[in-house]
Amino acid sequence: MHELGIAASVLDAVRTEVGMRPGYRATGVGLRIGALAGLDPDSLRFGFEAMVSDSDLDPLRLEVESANGEELDIAWIELEET
Amino acid sequence: MSNVVPVEKKVLSENARIAAELRERFARSGTLVVNLISAPGSGKTRLLERTLESLPEGLRVAVLTGDIQTERDAERLARFGYPVRQITTGGTCHLDASMIMRHLEGWKLDELDILFIENVGNLVCPSSYDLGEEAKIVLLSVTEGDEKPLKYPSIFFKSKLILITKTDLLPYVPFDLAQARANARSINQTADIIEVSTERQEGLMAWMDWLFARKYLRMPQSGGKLIPTGGSPWVVSRSPETTWEERRAWRCGRNK
Repeated sequence: MHELGIAASVLDAVRTEVGMRPGYRATGVGLRIGALAGLDPDSLRFGFEAMVSDSDLDPLRLEVESANGEELDIAWIELEET
Repeated sequence: MSNVVPVEKKVLSENARIAAELRERFARSGTLVVNLISAPGSGKTRLLERTLESLPEGLRVAVLTGDIQTERDAERLARFGYPVRQITTGGTCHLDASMIMRHLEGWKLDELDILFIENVGNLVCPSSYDLGEEAKIVLLSVTEGDEKPLKYPSIFFKSKLILITKTDLLPYVPFDLAQARANARSINQTADIIEVSTERQEGLMAWMDWLFARKYLRMPQSGGKLIPTGGSPWVVSRSPETTWEERRAWRCGRNK
């Protein structure tokens, strides 16, 4: 339900990271989602793709790794020289 | 050429930052903050009505109540004379820390003993958002089924108190109380579990005692008294002979 909001937070974080590295663009982002995070990866992916398409970040790959507990972290961002 | 940069950042880091600031402010002012969470219609507002009508005189309490639309809950709760503010989220399915921060503006936390936050009716999304509260409290009404803790483990895992509500309806619904407790325990080994019926006024004393025990923990300077007003039946609330009705009568009498 709030996956769209989470997706927006992820994209904001990606923009912040890219903003600190001139000459690069993001091609992928990796999340770790705990079993108790209360988040459905499929609907997160749906929201993520809807928000990325036609945005400044398009195309951007999302990779989700399962984790324990309530973890909800951005693990990594993949960058490419522009 | 591409390279992978480790970030290791919480997705909700901005919410976490604001929640930490709220928590610090609440700690400084000694305000006990509880975050009530449940599915729509489990009895959050009703529980608050029962609570507000029975609070000991002199206790300084306020309510923030969240809904997607309407100010109805705030109207229901404002009747008791305590400050109440409605947070209308306009579609968002949960409250976040920044909404709490915004809606506290103008309230003096130093003058608040307890702040109740009534979240948007939803068992999923509110569990992800730290509001700087002392405790999340989840309500499960008996009409919802005893499997609910297993179906929505996140919120049952994160709550410090599980309130099983509407127990007066138990004769009419296939709800196994022992099974519900066992299911809740399988998710959360430490949370307190209290059964309440707001209509029959059962279990409300246990709920208020739970609340005031938390408040007392926050106020070591009160010198052993549960509530700083003194002379309140709540102070001796551990004695089983004080009934809910007596306490309410006491409050009503004092208010005249």
